[in-house]
Amino acid sequence: MQPWMVLVLWLVYLALSANFELRNVVLGLLIAGGITALVHPAPYRIEPQRVPAAVWAAVRYVFVVAKDVLEGGLQVARLTLDPKLPIHPAIIAIPSGTESEMATALSAHAITLSPGAMVMEIGDHGAMYTHTLDVTVPDEVYFEMQARRRDLLMEIASEP
Amino acid sequence: MESVFQLLAALAVVVGTTFSALGILGVLRMPDVYTRLHATGKIGVFGAVLLLVAAILVLPKGAGKGIVLIFFLLLAGPVTAHSLSSAAYRIGIPFAKPMRNDLAAVTETFDADEQAEPQRKA
Amino acid sequence: MLASVLNIVLVASLVIHMVLMVVALRRLWRGENIVDRLLGADITTTLTIAVLVLLAVLNRNSLYLDVALGLAALGFVATVALAKYIADEQMF
Repeated sequence: MQPWMVLVLWLVYLALSANFELRNVVLGLLIAGGITALVHPAPYRIEPQRVPAAVWAAVRYVFVVAKDVLEGGLQVARLTLDPKLPIHPAIIAIPSGTESEMATALSAHAITLSPGAMVMEIGDHGAMYTHTLDVTVPDEVYFEMQARRRDLLMEIASEP
Repeated sequence: MESVFQLLAALAVVVGTTFSALGILGVLRMPDVYTRLHATGKIGVFGAVLLLVAAILVLPKGAGKGIVLIFFLLLAGPVTAHSLSSAAYRIGIPFAKPMRNDLAAVTETFDADEQAEPQRKA
Repeated sequence: MLASVLNIVLVASLVIHMVLMVVALRRLWRGENIVDRLLGADITTTLTIAVLVLLAVLNRNSLYLDVALGLAALGFVATVALAKYIADEQMF
């Protein structure tokens, strides 16, 4: 994992400085390497032959989340503009369907990102207690969305 | 080509400002803190991000900064909303009206007299 | 011609953002409880970031985006730290 973190930090440095002189590029590499040496990120094994499939799954995940976010935003906009304000808030439990903490955290991030749903607490075995704005939508809709996200996240982490 | 980018940027600014205004309208209309947090999510996720898309289209030098800022806003927004709602629930801010609450069944309610010993979940 | 259309849209958007920020500051000043006030502070930060981005486009100067980046990082840490302080009544 260490060289990957250096690469990511280096790219962020170059994006922020927008200066591709040799001096600056080398300085960015030194800073990225220094930060990685100081932080000691948790090691993570990456199998090179699985990288293309993981990247493809990550791209699909971004599009799935973007679609959910757009739908949620338009739905909340409609609720806000309605003169009667027809909101039916409730807290429902959504099982994340995985024991992996990283996948649960990323699922909670995706749920909270879309307006209209917000994870308030994470309980045992990845139960996500979600405050929703419209409880008239059946729970199965949320479960289905979560299952789709979970499958893609598992594909990214290469854990079937 | 430049004029196409400027037209797209103007469109992005219009849509982003509309979503920000809708978010603030939601803050004014929603009955309690928890529902207001849903409305403010729109300001961070649509308002600021669409303005940044306009900035990326018009300013080629700022494209890298804009993309990094979009990533940061999209990562940080949900964390802020979660921490605020969780804090409101823990200090016992009431809901505007009674409703279905799956969370109350599994946790001890964070009553006002329990504030000194906040419940920590593993 | 199109550049002036973009500039008109940007100035109108700046004016609208000023009005929105007044509402957010009022929420910070006269919130009904402490989380409500913190929410007002958070919206004010986000709207300030939006105003800085608008200024960057209006002046065609990407330096404003650096200021927005710093403000986003500081505002995020401040909001999360204060929310944790409210919930636990201790900082760390």
